[in-house]
Amino acid sequence: MKLRDFILRRIVLAIPVVFGVVTITWFLAYIVGDPVSMYITERTPDAAIPGIIESHGFNEPLPVQFFLYITNLLQGDWGTSTSTATDAPVLDIIAQRFPATIELALLSMIIAIILGIPLGIISATKKDKPVDHITRIFALAGVSMPIFWFGLMLKYILFFQFKAWGLPYLPSSNRYNIQLYDHVATTGFILIDSLLVGDIRLFFDALRHMAMPAFCLGYLVLAIITRMMRSSMLEVLKEDYITLAKSKGLTQRIVVYRHALRNALIPTVTVIGLAFGGLMTGAVLTETIFNWPGLGRWAVRSILQSDLAGINGFTLLVALIVVTSNLVVDLIYGTLDPRIRFG
Amino acid sequence: MTEDFALKVEGLVTNFYTYEGVVLALAGVDLFLRRGDTMGIVGETGCGKSVTARSILRLVEPPGRIEQGSITFFDRDRETNEIAPIEILDLEEAEMMDIRGNKIAIVFQDPATFPNPVFRIGTQIAEVIMLHQDLGRAALEVKIEELEVNLDKTEGDRRNKIEEKIEHYKSQLDTPPEPDDNDKKAAAWKLAIDMLKLVKMPAPEQVISQYPHELSGGMRQRALIAMALSCNPAILICDEATTALDVTVQAQVLNLLNELKSEIGTSIMIITHDLGVVAETCNWVNVMYAGNTVETAATEEIFETPMHPYTMGLLVAVPKLHETKERLDQIRGSVPNLITPPTGCRFHPRCDFVTEICKNDRPRLRELKPGHWVACHNPQGGS
Repeated sequence: MKLRDFILRRIVLAIPVVFGVVTITWFLAYIVGDPVSMYITERTPDAAIPGIIESHGFNEPLPVQFFLYITNLLQGDWGTSTSTATDAPVLDIIAQRFPATIELALLSMIIAIILGIPLGIISATKKDKPVDHITRIFALAGVSMPIFWFGLMLKYILFFQFKAWGLPYLPSSNRYNIQLYDHVATTGFILIDSLLVGDIRLFFDALRHMAMPAFCLGYLVLAIITRMMRSSMLEVLKEDYITLAKSKGLTQRIVVYRHALRNALIPTVTVIGLAFGGLMTGAVLTETIFNWPGLGRWAVRSILQSDLAGINGFTLLVALIVVTSNLVVDLIYGTLDPRIRFG
Repeated sequence: MTEDFALKVEGLVTNFYTYEGVVLALAGVDLFLRRGDTMGIVGETGCGKSVTARSILRLVEPPGRIEQGSITFFDRDRETNEIAPIEILDLEEAEMMDIRGNKIAIVFQDPATFPNPVFRIGTQIAEVIMLHQDLGRAALEVKIEELEVNLDKTEGDRRNKIEEKIEHYKSQLDTPPEPDDNDKKAAAWKLAIDMLKLVKMPAPEQVISQYPHELSGGMRQRALIAMALSCNPAILICDEATTALDVTVQAQVLNLLNELKSEIGTSIMIITHDLGVVAETCNWVNVMYAGNTVETAATEEIFETPMHPYTMGLLVAVPKLHETKERLDQIRGSVPNLITPPTGCRFHPRCDFVTEICKNDRPRLRELKPGHWVACHNPQGGS
């Protein structure tokens, strides 16, 4: 009951945030590019241009156009994207491409969490030992390398060079081997779809294709989680309640994994939530490098071609994801820390 | 040695290796705790009281290290009454874990920061119980109790079945089988409630499933005491356990400790800088100064005839209600820096009776009167 109230309140509070994002993006996009240019080629007769402008409503005053966009948005019409081969409604494109992106983002998040948290713990409990030094260098590299550079290096070594050396290499583009397998989208997540139809080979093929982009995308988050986990763990291990736990005669293992871990996770979870928003940005770069048929590539093309509906649609979606992941973080927070439990 | 000691500490040296230099925190602490006694350790802030307590449990964190000395714990078997001396500093870490919280327990200073904020009070108490106690019998008792409650509610055929079950469990009471995890938890939880009742926690059934932040300071302190007492330790160390509390709550907690002492036969070591607490609760006092034991004797003896100049100063410094004074008495100077402690007797720069020998030679603890040990070259025969 109280939890439901909390969620409802958060949703209501999210409305101004999302509205703000939409407003700013909409006006910015208008300033940066000329939407009319999408409809005009060299072969368009000059006389037709006023007609094109009028038919798309570009002659209306800006506030009116914005009002129309918002009205359509509220009615479930996110506009028509003009940057794809054939003009298509933004929502359709999102529905079609979103699974590829979110599958990649989730997988890289899982990699980052599964590796990052234990690495952070080990690094903290073995402070100043070789393991700690190696982990710290690994994490420092992760936060220091730009994704586009790291992605290109991965692709260069694990794909081009390994192929050239005759070693088993990782595929560098697409979600699966299109020549060998068929994929009929039911959920849109290949890993789930392939298991649903019982096609294990497609599953592993998809996993192989996902390995490089997912690691490329997840490395930054992995590094952030590791560093955060290490520092919060070190902080927590100095707390009085750890001394108390030791004075009870508990083993080091239980002290660390039961008493310290839960407290140390609290700041880490915040960082994970924020990083998930960052993953969506990273996806734009990663998908471009690895030729991944997701939303990121579409977003890049929308920006390059001044596809207003595309830019706005993508930004709105990212805003919704960030707001949702923040809500999820706050819910996890509550389960971890009784002091901020709702109600 | 005919006396029945619970703990004996001799020449304990603990250093902290910091960036500024080596802090010589404990420079030969001697103390002994008789079984059933309440001993007070008094001294100024920074004189090594807490480090002594943590050293006894080997809880000194790096950069601190116990360098030398001996800590002997005389473990009395509850059934045979046989006493086995255990040298704590020689134990393996695993053996030490069996002592911590079980045979020697500690209640820490600050009830605000010591309970783990993310676990329920009950979980934190039950944890110690599950770790150190054999819950076979307790688990069976919980099961029987549950069945008996059910018995009252059911009728007819099923009644017989339940009765049979109760009989079955009762027959096992003397040689209880190893309980499974859930039974253990239930039993430990029940014992935890009993512990909270023992420390006079109001509404223990509710408090047990509350989190530390939902309790007041006094209640948290009680919970910490309950945690420490839950395995009937032979020695209970209270490290400034009442300092953070209101005076009224402090009195309650101290009374509680004294009652508990007679109830479960624990020897208590109270660390404090409050001489009032010592006078009220302890029958033996150990005065520490800058990492040394300077004087130790029975409480009345110390209060009436202090022999070490530091103890005398300490007692004079206590404001008295019936005297009117412009300035309160104090010991001149301040606590020395323990990275570069004074040579010889560490108290000599502040001592009114200092002689040449005090500057070069550290006095040993000597028994000057029966039952009154002093570490001083110029003891003041007791004024």
